[in-house]
Amino acid sequence: MNPAGRIVSRRAVITGMGVITPLGHDLATFRAGLLAGTPGVRRTTAYDASKLPCPLFAELNPAFDAKKYIPATNKDGRKSLSKMAKTIQMGLCASQLCMDDAGLKKGDVPPQRFGIEFGCVMVATEINDLAKAAQVSVEGDSVNLKTWGERGQPEIIPVWLLKFLPNMPACHTSIFFDAQGPNNTITVEDAAGLLALGEAYRLLVRDSADFFLVGACESKLNPVSNSRLNTFTTFTKRHDAPESAVRPFDVSRDGTVLGEAATSLGLEELGRAQARGAKIYAELVGFAAGFDRGLTGKVLAQVIRNALKEAGVTPADVDHVNAHAAGYDYDAFEAKAILEVFGKQTPVIALKGQLGHSGAASGLTELVASIQALETGERPGTLNHMKNDFGISVQTGTAKTSKPYAVKISYTDLGQCAVIVIKKIDE
Amino acid sequence: MRRRVVITGMGVITPLGHSVDEMFANVLAGQSGVDTVRNFDASTFPTTFAAEVKGFDLVKWVKDPARYKKCGVNTRFALAAARQALDDANLPSGGDRTRFGVYMGSGEGSEDFRALMLGAAAGADSTGFKVDLGIFAAVNFSHLDGGRERELEMHTPAGHLAEEYDLCGPNFACLTACAASAQALGEAAALIRHGDCDAMLTGGSHSMIHPLGMTGFNRLTALSTRNDSPKSASRPFDLTRDGFVLGEGAGMLVLEELEHAKARKATIYAELTGYGTSGDAHAMTDPHPEGIGAIQAMKMAMTEAGVKPGDVGYINAHGTSTRANDSSETNAVKGALGEHAYTTPVSSSKSMLGHLIAAGGAVELIISIMAMRKSVLPPTINYETPDPACDLDYVPNTAREKAAIRHVLSNSFGFGGQNITLIASRF
Repeated sequence: MNPAGRIVSRRAVITGMGVITPLGHDLATFRAGLLAGTPGVRRTTAYDASKLPCPLFAELNPAFDAKKYIPATNKDGRKSLSKMAKTIQMGLCASQLCMDDAGLKKGDVPPQRFGIEFGCVMVATEINDLAKAAQVSVEGDSVNLKTWGERGQPEIIPVWLLKFLPNMPACHTSIFFDAQGPNNTITVEDAAGLLALGEAYRLLVRDSADFFLVGACESKLNPVSNSRLNTFTTFTKRHDAPESAVRPFDVSRDGTVLGEAATSLGLEELGRAQARGAKIYAELVGFAAGFDRGLTGKVLAQVIRNALKEAGVTPADVDHVNAHAAGYDYDAFEAKAILEVFGKQTPVIALKGQLGHSGAASGLTELVASIQALETGERPGTLNHMKNDFGISVQTGTAKTSKPYAVKISYTDLGQCAVIVIKKIDE
Repeated sequence: MRRRVVITGMGVITPLGHSVDEMFANVLAGQSGVDTVRNFDASTFPTTFAAEVKGFDLVKWVKDPARYKKCGVNTRFALAAARQALDDANLPSGGDRTRFGVYMGSGEGSEDFRALMLGAAAGADSTGFKVDLGIFAAVNFSHLDGGRERELEMHTPAGHLAEEYDLCGPNFACLTACAASAQALGEAAALIRHGDCDAMLTGGSHSMIHPLGMTGFNRLTALSTRNDSPKSASRPFDLTRDGFVLGEGAGMLVLEELEHAKARKATIYAELTGYGTSGDAHAMTDPHPEGIGAIQAMKMAMTEAGVKPGDVGYINAHGTSTRANDSSETNAVKGALGEHAYTTPVSSSKSMLGHLIAAGGAVELIISIMAMRKSVLPPTINYETPDPACDLDYVPNTAREKAAIRHVLSNSFGFGGQNITLIASRF
C-alpha cells in the first residue's frame, strides 16, 4: 500500500546506467575514482577563465568526443551531433551508454511503452555561432538592432535555436531509440534529475510505460553559461588549492565549483526485467517532493519522511544519506533536515567535493554512487570534509554498507526539494 | 477508489486580455491580438509583428512588486495569472501547506542580448567565425547584472509562485517546447491522483518575443512573414498559411481533488478526465506527417477519460498555422476520431492569440472549458481559402453556439516531438 491507500502492484527497478563525469565515462572508472577519492576539480583548462571570479571547474576529460559513443552503424545519429550543444551531446551519450549497459537496442522495447524523462535546464549557445552576426551589428557599446535584422541574422545557421533547447536531449534520445511513450523534460535546476526520475517512476507504476530512459545532463563550462553563473553563485575562493576547495558540510566551506556531467538510468518494470533476465542494480521504492519556503529545513525533513513512508521503511533501515551539499551556505539547511529525520547515527555522504556541482545532472550522477554502493557493499566517502558543527555524521573515508536502503536528496536555492529512496536487490 | 481531479480556479495574462472573461469575450468576437512588435525594434527582421501582452503592470497583482524587480516576464505573468486563479478558487489559507503544490510549464529567461553581443564582438577574430573564449568570458561577465541573471534560471517562476502564495507541496517545472503547460497540467493531475497532494497551482508562462527568440524562429523559417497584414497572418488550416505568430502570456489553473473541492463547496468549472502523452521519435521540428504520436496521445487521453470519439464535443487544436502542423494534426484527428472527425468542430485559438509557446496549452484548455460552460465555440479567424489537406470543420471566422458539450479535447505538440492531449469534462 502507498500513502494514498492504493495497492501498488507494479514495481520499478534500475536495469541500466550510463555516466559521463569528470572522474570518467564508464561505471567502473567512476566507481573506482569515487572510492579512491580522486579529485575532479582543477583550474579551467578549456579557455582562459582567469578574469572570472572563479577560475576552477570540474571538467570532463578534454578528449571527450561524442562521436565515439555513437555506433558507426548509426550514421544519421552521428550526423545529428553537429546540431547539438555539448550538454545535449553528453545527455545523448549517457543514454547510449545506459542502453548498452541494459543490453537493449532500438526496437527491443515496444516503442509506445518506451518513455523518456530528462532533467535539463538552460543550455547556452555556442558563441562562435553568433560571432559574425555580433561583429556586424555591434556599434561601440551597443547593438544596432536594425543592422542585426538586416545583416546579422542571415549570418546565423538555420538550426541555431535547436542546438540548445533544453528538451533536445529527450528529443534526440527518443529518435535514437524509437521511444514513443511519454516524453518530458524537467527544468527545476539542481532538483531536475531526481524530479525527472520521480515522475518517470510514477508514470511507470501507473502503467503508462514499461521502460524509461531517465537522464540528466549539464555543462556550464561554455563561457556563455560560466560567466552568467559567476554573477550569482557562491563559489569558493580557494583558487590555489582546487583539489580541496569544495568542502561539503565542513565548517571551513566557502563556496562551490561547477562541474559537468550526464547520467542516464534505465528504469524498468520488475516483471519485464526479470522476464528478459536483465541485470537488476536496485529497486526504486520511494519518491517525494516539496517546497521548503525560506529554507528552514522543515519541509525538506517532511519530504524525506514522505519518501521513506512510501518505501515503507524507517530511518533505521537506511544505510546512508547521499546529500546534495555543494559546500556553501545552503548546506546548513540540509543538515538540519537530515538531523531532524536521521539523528546522528546514519552516515551522510556528499560527493560534490570530488565531482563539482553539475546542477541538473548532479542528482542522478550522485545517485549512481549509492546504487553502486548497495550493489558492491562499499560506499565512497566525502572528500574535503573534516569537521561539521551540525551534529550529523558525515562519513569521510570509504565504508562497508550494512543496510539495504539509500536516500538521495536534491534541492534548489529557492527551496524545491526532491528525495529518492532506493533498495538493494535481494540475491 | 480512483481520486478525481477538478478545476476550481483559472486566470490568464494574454494578448487579448488580463482576465479569463475579457480574453474569452475577445476570442468569441474573433479579435486578433497581433500587431507590430513594440518591445524592441524588429523593423528589419524577416517578421516584424507578434501578439504581445499590453498594459501589464505587476503592481496590480502582488503586494510587494519590488521583490520581483529583477524577474523576467515568465515570473511576472505567472504571478498575475496565478493571483486570479487563486482568488477564483478561493482556497482557505493555512492548513497543511505541503498538500498544495506547483507545476509550471515555462521557458528560459531571455539572455542579456547586449552583453552577449559585446562579448562576442570583442572576442571574434578577423574572419568573424571564431571567438576567443577567454576574452568573451571577461567582456560578457563585465556587462551582466547578477540579480537579473539569476532570474533567468528555469526554476524561478515555479519557485516564486510557491514563495508568494505559500505552496509547499511538490514543485515541478517542465519545458517540452510548445507542449509544456499542457504536460504540466497532466502531470499535476497525476500527482493529485496518486496522493502526493490535494491541490496544484499549474499552467504555463512564457515569452520569446525578444531579439534572440524571434531570430531563432526566423532562422528556422517557422514564423509568418506577412508583414503587410499582421492581424491576418495567423491563419491555421488555411491554404495560404505561411507560419506561426509569436505570442506571450500565462495561463494558470487550480486543480483540486474532487472530495476536497466538494467539502468546501467550491465552484467546479470542469473535471480533468483525460491526459495523453507521447513522443514522435521522428524529428527535431517537424511533426510526424501522419501524426502517429498525436493519435496515440489523443487515444490515450480518451481511454483515460472513458470517452468515445463521438462524445468529444469540441477540439481546441494545436493549430499553429505552419504548413506541417496543420495538415499533420488534421490527419491525426482523423486517425484518433475516425468518422467522427468530420462532425467534430475543431478550432485554433492561435489564429487570435498567436502562439504562447510553453504557455499555450494552459490558456487553450481554459478557452476549451469556457466554450463548454458557455455553449459556444471559439472560431478560427483568417480562414479564407480551404486547403484540401485540411478538410475538417474549423469553425471558420465566426463563433458558433453549440449546446450540451460534455467533453472538450485540447492538443499541444512541441518541437522535439512531445504530444500532449488533455480532456476536460462537464461536471
